[in-house]
Amino acid sequence: MTGEEILAEVMNAVIEGEEELAEKWVQEAINQQIDPLEVLNNGLTKGIEIVGKKFADGYYFLPDMLLGAKAMERGIGLLEPLLVGEKRKAAGKVIMGTVEGDLHEIGKNIVVMMLKTAGYQVNDLGVDVPAARFVEAVRAEKPQVVGISALLTTTIARQQEIIELLIEEGLRKEVKVIVGGAPINQRWADEIGADGYAEDAMRAVDLVRNLLKN
Amino acid sequence: MKRFQLLEEEEIKTIHEATLEILEKIGIRCKSEKFREVLADNGCKVEGEWVKFPPEVVERFLQKVPAEFKLYGRDGKTVLEIGKKHAYAQNCSGTPRVVDLDTGERREYVLQDLADMTRLIDALPNIHIVSCGVPTDVEEQVYMVVEIATMLRNTMKPVRLPIESAAEMKYICELLSLLAGSMEQFRQKPFLYLEVSPLSPLDYAREPADLIIALAEEGIPVGIIPCPMMGATGPMTLIGSVAQHNAEIVAGVVAAEMVNPGVPVMMSPRVTFMDMRSGLGLWAAPETGLAGVCSAQLANYYNIPVSVSGYSAAAQVADQQSGYERCYNALLNALVGVDVLAAAGALDNCLTQCYVQLVLDDEISSMVRSTFRKLDVAPETLAVDVVAEVISTKGSFLGHKHTRKYLRAGELWMPPVGSRLSFNEWAETKETIEDRARSKAKEILQSERTPVLDPQVEAEMDRIIETARKELTAA
Repeated sequence: MTGEEILAEVMNAVIEGEEELAEKWVQEAINQQIDPLEVLNNGLTKGIEIVGKKFADGYYFLPDMLLGAKAMERGIGLLEPLLVGEKRKAAGKVIMGTVEGDLHEIGKNIVVMMLKTAGYQVNDLGVDVPAARFVEAVRAEKPQVVGISALLTTTIARQQEIIELLIEEGLRKEVKVIVGGAPINQRWADEIGADGYAEDAMRAVDLVRNLLKN
Repeated sequence: MKRFQLLEEEEIKTIHEATLEILEKIGIRCKSEKFREVLADNGCKVEGEWVKFPPEVVERFLQKVPAEFKLYGRDGKTVLEIGKKHAYAQNCSGTPRVVDLDTGERREYVLQDLADMTRLIDALPNIHIVSCGVPTDVEEQVYMVVEIATMLRNTMKPVRLPIESAAEMKYICELLSLLAGSMEQFRQKPFLYLEVSPLSPLDYAREPADLIIALAEEGIPVGIIPCPMMGATGPMTLIGSVAQHNAEIVAGVVAAEMVNPGVPVMMSPRVTFMDMRSGLGLWAAPETGLAGVCSAQLANYYNIPVSVSGYSAAAQVADQQSGYERCYNALLNALVGVDVLAAAGALDNCLTQCYVQLVLDDEISSMVRSTFRKLDVAPETLAVDVVAEVISTKGSFLGHKHTRKYLRAGELWMPPVGSRLSFNEWAETKETIEDRARSKAKEILQSERTPVLDPQVEAEMDRIIETARKELTAA
């Protein structure tokens, strides 16, 4: 098999959302000494871009996206040790998390996946994340965007606390803050001084893209 | 799936006994000597214009009706299993008016509307049988022939229409033979059924009576569709009207089986109601559905295919009222078990046909019929191991292949034109479902399409119509 054919298999594994196949073909590429950066860019990333396009065109649904992203990540897991020192091509870096006291994450996870599919590097802090951890992560990882999720009307106030803590720590100007969750709307986002809000995952990607343009 | 039953089995039997009593003691009035002869030859008692049915005669001939028959599409693929209670949708017949697709105004229904609506239905997957309105620009003498030809020219789907003139039968059979090869081939794979409408109460006028004989002789599937109005041409109790109505239908069914034992028959009960202020016939009260259910339970008790009015509305425009009226009556009857839900596209108590409503009824039909999807109760669908896997890996079902598999298999019904957008996304255009249905109808009618029939067949059809026109006008 030629290198090109192997990369095509890697890409197809992602398009079809087949984790095992992604692993198999990425391993094959590694065995064949194909440049890991090329496997990433011309195999996995190319595949996930097609997944994103199929979703935008209405042929794919959320489970297809998620399975595609999982397949891509499985491949990246194999490539990562070989990519040390190499600069991964990413559209931007985003940190995401659900606030302290809130365990709801399905919406946040969908946004994470959509961002990854759109080529962003995302660090998901998980659920029940204290304000201090958001701030630490912003300081340590220097993302361009931090996304704060909350579902409960009793926990949305945490979003405001995190923004206030970022201001206190002098980090607010370093990072764009976006907020989301079922009870959130644009008025709330404006009120607490967030940079943006989107009502669904597709729009969240547009929002991040626009924030990074400015 | 367990079927819903409104009446207890004992109650069904009691209505059946009342039916037998009506036919035995009152009988039916019939002006056709030929019809009276057929009935007399098979054990009925003729007293002047009235024919009385001994119960054992009724029971004997009800046994001869096929529990199932098939209606075929001329595409070589479509097969409708009539008798299996699939709740196929059929559009409305008898409408003299139509809501214009461009202006939204009501106007006369013309032959071009029949062509356009047939073509529209041809592209709507959830409307299965094509029927016709009452075009106001066709000569009376060749009405049925022209209607049938127009429908056959615009669709491969099975076709149905009410038939009123026995004189046209010869030419109708010529059309059927032309397309099928011969009447024998048509009988083997019928792509049309015709319905006969006697008068209520209990009156078989000459034309419907003679037509039952003619259709049965030709082996064309025949529907019996009287339309009594509760409180006017039937008693002012729902059950009383159902019983009288059942007697009217059973008389026709029995007669058809006497002429040709085993001929496919459809019972088409249509108990309607009179508005007691205006005198209007009401076709879409909840009682329409309830009466339909009672009649359908009787037909199911006899094991005879049945059609009811499911998609009719009293509403004058396609709106929320027309939506709830048809949804209630269609679903109610589908749950009990009927073969055909008629009157798709109808508004204004079945007096007006509407393109937009037809597109919406395609959607309602899709939803109603999705009720009968097979809900497998099996390890694969119970998915206990999937639950365990998702929990143990702290993942979500969204990222499991089981989710993708069943999403693709259609586990979630998707509305063909209905909107599930979020408010803000919807607010970008503020399109209503009626707007989208209108656009879809226009798109279908404006699209390029290869002709349904070969030019030679078209020409032969023209010739049959021309001959019918000459011969019937001369007569």
